[in-house]
Amino acid sequence: MSKNNIIEVNQISKHYERKIALSSLSFVVEKGEMVALIGPSGAGKTTLLNTLAAIIEPDSGEILIDGLDLRKITNQKTRARKIGIIRQQFDLVGQLAVIHNVLAGRLSEWGFVKSFISLLFPQDKQTAISALERVGLPDKTYERTSKLSGGEQQRVALARLLVQRPEIILADEPVASLDPARAEDILETLTRLAREEGQTVIASLHSVEYAKRYFTRLIALKNGEILFDLPVEKVTDELLKELYQLKELDQNALV
Amino acid sequence: MRKPKFTFLTFSVYVFLFLIAASWYFVVGVEKASLIELFSRENLQYAGKFFKGLVGVGEEKIAFLSKDSWSEAIKLTVETLQMSIMAIGFSTVVMFLTVLPAARNVADGTLTLSKKWYSFLLFGLIRISYIFSRAIPELVWAMIVIFIFKPGILPGAIALALHNFGILGKLCAEVIEDTDSRPIRNLASAGAGRMQILLYGVLPSVLPQFLTYILYRWEVIMRTTIVVGFVGAGGLGQQFKLSMSFFHYTEITLLLVCYIVLVLIADFLSERSRYFVK
Repeated sequence: MSKNNIIEVNQISKHYERKIALSSLSFVVEKGEMVALIGPSGAGKTTLLNTLAAIIEPDSGEILIDGLDLRKITNQKTRARKIGIIRQQFDLVGQLAVIHNVLAGRLSEWGFVKSFISLLFPQDKQTAISALERVGLPDKTYERTSKLSGGEQQRVALARLLVQRPEIILADEPVASLDPARAEDILETLTRLAREEGQTVIASLHSVEYAKRYFTRLIALKNGEILFDLPVEKVTDELLKELYQLKELDQNALV
Repeated sequence: MRKPKFTFLTFSVYVFLFLIAASWYFVVGVEKASLIELFSRENLQYAGKFFKGLVGVGEEKIAFLSKDSWSEAIKLTVETLQMSIMAIGFSTVVMFLTVLPAARNVADGTLTLSKKWYSFLLFGLIRISYIFSRAIPELVWAMIVIFIFKPGILPGAIALALHNFGILGKLCAEVIEDTDSRPIRNLASAGAGRMQILLYGVLPSVLPQFLTYILYRWEVIMRTTIVVGFVGAGGLGQQFKLSMSFFHYTEITLLLVCYIVLVLIADFLSERSRYFVK
């Protein structure tokens, strides 16, 4: 076991009534890796990410973050310094100004009084502004977040992650509701910033094309199992075909 | 051919038709009511006298032309405004103190991601107090409060607040129950504590809606002051009842004018502030 393993997943399983969401998954992610989770809908990508984020507890198996059992990191604030999450929009408070949504990444370090004062007089303003500059939104600091477009909102979410500075970023379909140009832009920014900060990224994606372009390693899930786990250059079209093949089509092919 | 199915819908249509027929039978056949009786010579005479009185025909003292009456009426208008502001103020304060534990998603911990053993006890107690407060009409609250204290605008305001805090509490608790929990859960995963979630997640998303409800209830309270005034809570309502009893018709006109002005002011203010919030 090398020192560089930031995530170790050992045989985790998760069942929902009758349905197997994850069946005995194991893999290891090294620090700084860019991993894309791909696979058909319902394959268990979101469940896996939520398990890694400790939002869902697995039925069996264990997850080690930096060698520590995830279940033992019960303090939400400690966990927030290890793991940050970005989802397909809806993760910002629309009524707040952009700067407060960015500074929400600081809440794990701030006490109650400081967070209260910050709503009136933004604290650590410089951190927030430079984060917004790095994601390319320098002029929207005080705008109401709900007035921003979908792509801009995802940038704000990225700025929040910059302020939160977790070691691992879990991205659940971060570009699912964006048009192709915006989607590429967000993925490019996400992976570039993570590289600059030396963070590890695990992102679930619908598009294999994006996964291949912006990530270095693909983990393919199908029916709760890992179908393949390969560096991008070793993923072949046959493997992808198998991954996305529908059962019905299999039978038709036989007839 | 398929036999038409006897559903609840067809059943309710038959019941509806039957009820219409039966009601008409009762009105015409049993009660022997007639529309023409309403317009009898006597009633016409009374109505004529009343409306002529309102505009001041044949009255000795015409209130809306006298300076003293106007200053008296304006004083009462200000009192009524005070009563309504006090009432909405009291009920808003009490609502804010109780509304959080009264929301189901706060009680079961799904919104703030933390749950205490007493959450549901508190939830039940507050919800019951809301129902109790709403169930008793303002008029009854006013009679009780004025029976205990002496008549005046403060007891009137307390009575109105007692009825309205239950309404506001229920409405606002439902607003909290309807908030989108996704941004709030994300705050939790960014490491925000319970109070921080409240500040950054819950309050910003519910406050505009709260304000709308508070202003709406304020408008309603303004109108209801006349009702509690009848039982001695002061303000325009009380004077209205007195003028009515003494047959001072022109005073009634004056008071009604003041009333309409008040409601117009409330309407304007709530419209403006709602616009401002958006």
